[in-house]
Order: sequence, then C-alpha cells, then structure tokens
Amino acid sequence: MKTSGRILAEKVSKIKNSDVFSIRSHNLPTWCPGCGYFGIHQGLNNAIQRLELPHHKTVTVSGIGCAGRYPFFANTYGLHTVHGRALPVATGVKLANPDLTVFAVGGDGDGLGIGGGHIPHIARRDIDVTYLLFDNSIYGLTKGQPSPSSPTGFKTKASPYGTTEAPLNATLMALSYGATFVARLFAGDPDAITDAIVEGIQHKGFSFFHIYSTCVTFDKQFKTWDHLHEWVHPLSDEHDPTNLKQAMNEALEDHFSLGILYRRQKE
Amino acid sequence: MPHVDLTIEICGMSGDGTIAAGALLNGALSRAGFSLMAFDSYPAEIRGFGRCVTRTRVGVEEMVALTSETHVLISLDDEQSLSRIPFLARSATVFFDNRPPSYVPEGQSIAAHVEPHITLLGIPFGNLAAEATGTTRGRNLTALGAFAGAFDLPSEPFHEVIRKKFDPKGEKVAQANIKSFDAGVQYAREKLDPSIRGILSLPQKTMEKDDRELLSGNMAIARGALDAGLKLYFGYPITPATPIMEYLAKVLPERGGRLLQMEDEISSIGAVLGSFYAGSRAMTATSGPGLSLMTELITHGVMAEIPAVIIDAQRGGPATGLPTKSEQSDLHAAVFGGPGDSARIVIAPTNVSECYEYTVKSFQLAEKYQTPVIVLTDFFLDNRVENVSMPHAAPEEISDGNVYPDPALKGHYRRFERTESGISPRSIPGMEGFIFTTTGLEHTEKGIPDYAPQNHMQMSEKRHRKITGALAELPVPKEFSQKESLDVGVIAWGSTFGSALEAVRKAEKKGIRAGALKITSIFPYHADSIRGFMERCGEILIPELNYEGQLANLIGHLFGKEVTRLNRVTGEPFPASIILKKIESLVT
Repeated sequence: MKTSGRILAEKVSKIKNSDVFSIRSHNLPTWCPGCGYFGIHQGLNNAIQRLELPHHKTVTVSGIGCAGRYPFFANTYGLHTVHGRALPVATGVKLANPDLTVFAVGGDGDGLGIGGGHIPHIARRDIDVTYLLFDNSIYGLTKGQPSPSSPTGFKTKASPYGTTEAPLNATLMALSYGATFVARLFAGDPDAITDAIVEGIQHKGFSFFHIYSTCVTFDKQFKTWDHLHEWVHPLSDEHDPTNLKQAMNEALEDHFSLGILYRRQKE
Repeated sequence: MPHVDLTIEICGMSGDGTIAAGALLNGALSRAGFSLMAFDSYPAEIRGFGRCVTRTRVGVEEMVALTSETHVLISLDDEQSLSRIPFLARSATVFFDNRPPSYVPEGQSIAAHVEPHITLLGIPFGNLAAEATGTTRGRNLTALGAFAGAFDLPSEPFHEVIRKKFDPKGEKVAQANIKSFDAGVQYAREKLDPSIRGILSLPQKTMEKDDRELLSGNMAIARGALDAGLKLYFGYPITPATPIMEYLAKVLPERGGRLLQMEDEISSIGAVLGSFYAGSRAMTATSGPGLSLMTELITHGVMAEIPAVIIDAQRGGPATGLPTKSEQSDLHAAVFGGPGDSARIVIAPTNVSECYEYTVKSFQLAEKYQTPVIVLTDFFLDNRVENVSMPHAAPEEISDGNVYPDPALKGHYRRFERTESGISPRSIPGMEGFIFTTTGLEHTEKGIPDYAPQNHMQMSEKRHRKITGALAELPVPKEFSQKESLDVGVIAWGSTFGSALEAVRKAEKKGIRAGALKITSIFPYHADSIRGFMERCGEILIPELNYEGQLANLIGHLFGKEVTRLNRVTGEPFPASIILKKIESLVT
C-alpha cells in the first residue's frame, strides 16, 4: 500500500511531467486566492495552446501592478517593465522581430492611469500587439486606492469620503482611438477569453481586450464576483462588429455587454 | 603653404539668405582644400524675425575651436551687423552693400561706425545682382562673389556648390545664382584697389580632390548609427537633437530600417529597450528635458540589463531652459540621474569625427555590457560643421556585440548569472530553451523577483563589476602637452575641449608650461590616468559650459588640492581666449 506522501509525490511528478508546465511557468502566481486574474491567465494560456504558438517565439510585456506580474507566471519570454510603459516596450519588441507573437498585459492603473497616454498611439500605429487590460477598478498591489475606472463615490483608504471623479470607459476609448480590434470580456469566463484572444492573435494589427475582473481583497463594494456575474451579459446576436458606430454606441450605452465589439483589418 | 587662420562672418536679417550663403561658403572652401569649422546662429522662433550670423574659421591646419575675433565680415544688413563690430579684429575687412535694397536710416550704415583701421569695401550687392539677373534676390551670392574675387579664390568650387544646391530647382535658377555670384567676382577684380587684394589673398590651394566632407556633429551621429547597423529609431522632436531624426527618417527606410516618431521620450526609450531585448539595434536622441523623462526606463535598462543607445544633445537648462544655446549641464543627470545605484556608461565626443566614432562604439558597448549607453553632445558640437575625413567603422566594431548563452545550458539557463566579469550570457526571444523574464525588480540569477539582503548585495555588486570592467574598452584620456611637468593642466570634455586645446597651444607659445587632457569617457572614467596627469601639474583648470562644475565635481577629488573651476553659462561655445586668460592668471 502506498503512503499518502508517495501518492502526493507521484501526483506532483505527474503534473510536472505533463504539458502543464510547457504552458505555465514554474513560478506559481502570487495573486490572492480567488483573484479574477487566474481566469485571465487560464484563458490566455489556453489560447496559446490552441494556436500551438511556440513559447520561445512569444513575448509577454507588462508594466507594474498585480497584473504586471503576469510574465513571471507565463512560460514565454517576459519583460516586466516599469509602471505604465508596457505598450511602447511591446512596440519595440514587435518591430524588432515581427515573427514574435507579442502580448502586453497590465491593470487599469497601469493602462488607464500612468500609461494612459500610450494606448492611442499604439492603436493609431496599429502595431500587431495583443493588449490585455485587466480592469478591476482598483490599485491592488498598493493595497486599495481608487483607479481611473473606479466609479464616482468609490470609497477606499485614499478616498475616505468617496471619489469625485468620473470613471473612464476603456472600451469606448479604444474604439475612438481607432483600435482595429476591440473586445470586452470577463475574468469569470476563461473559455470566452480564450476564444476571443485566439481571434485577437490572428488579427493583423493592434487588438485590445478590456477584461473586467475583481479584487477580492480590497474591493468589497463594486466589482465583486457577485456584482460582475449579475451585470455581465453577451452582446446581442445582432451586433455587427464591422460597424464602428454601432460598436461605439454599444460601448456608450451598455458597459457590460461582452464579446468582440469591433474588428477591421487594415489594408 | 603659408599660415592661414581667418574667421569669416556673414550677418543679415532673416530672409537675406545669410545661412544659405554661409553654407555655400563652407562648401566651396572645403572643396578648395581648406580646413574649417563653422557655426551658425539664428532666431529660435519659427517666425522669428531676427539676426542671422554664420561664422566660419578657415585655415590649413585642423581647426579645433572657433575664435572670438572676426577677420572678414560680410554684411547683408548693416543694422544687424552693427552688433558684430566689437568682434572685428584690428586688421578686419568689412564687405557691405553701399546701395542697399531698403531704406537705411541715417547713421545706420556700417561705414559710419567702424574704426578707421578697418578696411571697408562698399559694393552694391543688390544692384549688381539686379543687373546680372533682373532681380536682387541673388545679392547674398553677389556678396559671396565679391569676397571670393577680393581674396583671389578660384570660382570653380563656388560654382560647384551653387550648382549642387540649385540644380534641383532647375537650370534657370542655378544659372541666375551663378550669374549673381560672378557679378560679385567681376566687380571685386575690376573695381577694388589691387593693393587691397594683395593684402587679402588666401593662398591658392591646389584643386586636388579632397576626400573630406562637410559634416555637423548631428549628421556624424546619424551616419555612425547607420554604419553600426541601426535597425530602428524611436524619437520625439526636441532641439537640438531633431536633425538626427529627420536625417534618419529619410535614410533608415532605404536601408530596410524603420523610424517611429513616438508620443514622448518615455515611449521612445521604452521602444528602444524593447527592440534591443528582441535583438535589433535601436537608438533614440534627445536633449535634457527628454533625458529626464527617460531616466526611469534608463535605470530599468540598468537593472534588467537591456542594452540601449541614447544620444543626449545638451542645451541650456534647467527645465525648458535655452533650447538653442550650448551648455554642458546634463552630466550629472546622465551619470547619476534616476532611482537607485544605476551605473551606466556615459561617453562624450569632443569633435565631429568622434561623434561618428563614439556612436558606432556605443552600440558595441551597449550590447556587450548589456546596459544603456548615453552619448553626451552639446548644441555647438551638434550644429557646427567641420570638414572631416569620414572614418568608416571596421567590421569588428559593427559586428554583433552580444554574449550568447552556451547551448549546453539549455534548460538550466541563468540569465543573470554572477560571472567574474559580471556579464551574463544573454538569450534573445526566439532562442529555444532559454526563456527568461527580465524585471526591474531585484531578482535572482534566474530573473525571479527576490529581495533577500544577500541577493541585493550580490546583484548590485555584479552590475557594478560589469560597468567597471567596461572601462578597459572605453577611450582613454588623451594628453596634449610638450613638457613632462606642467604649471597648468587643463582638463576638458565635449565641445569645450577644442577651446581648451586652442588656449593651451597659445599659452605654450607664450612660454607657459601648459597641457591639455581630453576626457571622453565620462562614466566610468579612467581615474588612474587622470590622476597621473594631475600629479604632473601644478594647477588643474577645468573649464565647462555649466554653472556647477559638473565634471569637476566628478573627477576633482583625484587632485591633491582644489581644482580651479572655470564655469560659463552664456549659451555660447567656450571662448579659448577666456581659458587662456585663466591659464595666465594661474601662473602669475
């Protein structure tokens, strides 16, 4: 009879020898248990696997924040850069070697706050980079301050009386910047993330993924799992992703409809 | 060949064609085989209406600096030229328009203002041009022709440069300009007192084909980067670095490269780092305000050990400062700027050919030592023109400088291995079995974030060991002196070095035991050889175009006593005469 220790060791060895670690890095995520980012991680990994992308020809670029730690947990070449600058660095990587598949990842603070000035430019240049914006509307790594996508009145330790600013609408921004591929997704649905990212990778040009997520540790009031599950819903079947005006209208009218809002292959 | 050393100035109002005439003069003198250094000044504002001055120092030996004295002044607008009178040498000659096209207020003709010992040559530039071509538009060329005629210079080199400039605009335009020029030559030869011509003559150079090219510091940098195998350029417009971007915008695509004008300097350096990370040589050029924006990512390059090449064309500061003026006040920012202990390589050329040479070298250094390299220039060096024999980068200088991992290490790769040299073999995305993540967090040899006390000690030591080791490949200080022991040793960097050398040569002629030391490796610097020079000097003088004495702050401690600082922030190139005066005061 095998001891439980041996069973565990065998299981670990089986996992280690399986192809799990050819997809994931040996470094396990440092995110809090229950974090929405695990779902995004799974979604992206499955997309890489489905397309059979060679890992050594894939680069993940990030800024700073909980989402910024992503490259350590992915089995790809990784660039964990400074706060807010993933997109320009990713631009350099892609132009230097167009054979590489390049992902840029970051949170709402990184992408909409300090790095907000870079999204319009990578969009108008239409650099072939797949950008995943993890939007949980809070600064998690610094332990819970309001972010540019926090709702007005959002209370945190840094905003004890509630914020007075209006939130940014990242999807609408990307559309108006001229991004040629814009999708809105939810961390609670990894399969939908995989499906959309597969299309984003195949899209020749900049693809923007606005992914709603949650911070289970510092946000108990706004983007909780319960709220998000209640709010999100798929785009209507009648949505035409080739129609920019319709996409912008959708982004303006409904903040929680999910799917590929817009795609246009540049000549 | 008799000694020739003349400074020629052309002064006019915007619209007079002053800068164009200066460029043609430089081109023709270079073709005629003279050595020269030239520098223009004109209004910074786009629609500025103001004084334009071109200065050309011409001679037969290599020119290391400008002089503050003018020997020939060609005035295209007397009202503007009045301000140049104080700079005229005792034996100066002034060419002016004695029938100017517009009304000159009484007493504003330059003829009424110069000292009697100045030779005044009133020539109706405008009228002559109009007679020859029907319009006064070519009067700047007539003035140039009058100068060439008076100085017995051959017309061919002038005709060549005029054709080169105007042929693209059509035969008619080119012809008109040649006629305007010839009208000036003819007038000077026929109407000027022959005795004056004798005094003025420049020696005839043989018209052998000279392989030298007229090149500014900025163009030399751009050419160096191209020869070094530049693939990508990312930049943001800023004076005085913009001409590098504009030149590369045209040439880089022809060579299969690409240039992106980025949204700011932060994204420019970000893309440069991304490009080097992925295995392509990239560069950005900026000035002080842009360098300050880049500092965080430069230190990221230091921490994550990613190469980068950054040109910092210094201008007056702080903040927006004096965009079109010369200053050397970014040394502190280049060497020390940014968070943490972030040692990086900083080199500073002193002349146009070094601009080329060190740009080529910076790519090799950046790749081999996996670090950002900053090349410091300044407004004067960027914009002045010298005729130089263009060096061509040797294959070993442009070859791939990367140190790659041993294929046997596949699967056991430590990207930040603490080697003896501090250089850890670097894999490039696309290499199978050598995947790693690089980070600006302190990390282990494998690149995993780690804040353990001993780890940060060891990794800091590794990064600094690497930079210290780079010293072996950095250009050593070069001494210019005739004597073993010196009363005054002048140490200078950047464009100021030329002025220092000029001052030292003049001091030597006056019997002073003076010497000059050229420092081009700013960080790391050759402490031993600098100290060796200092030990042979009674006094050390460090002239700099900054207020705080930034090089003196860096290396002054190597001298047994206080170094003498000579600091100027007038926005102009450092005058050799002021350095000479200081040398003299130190020995009396």
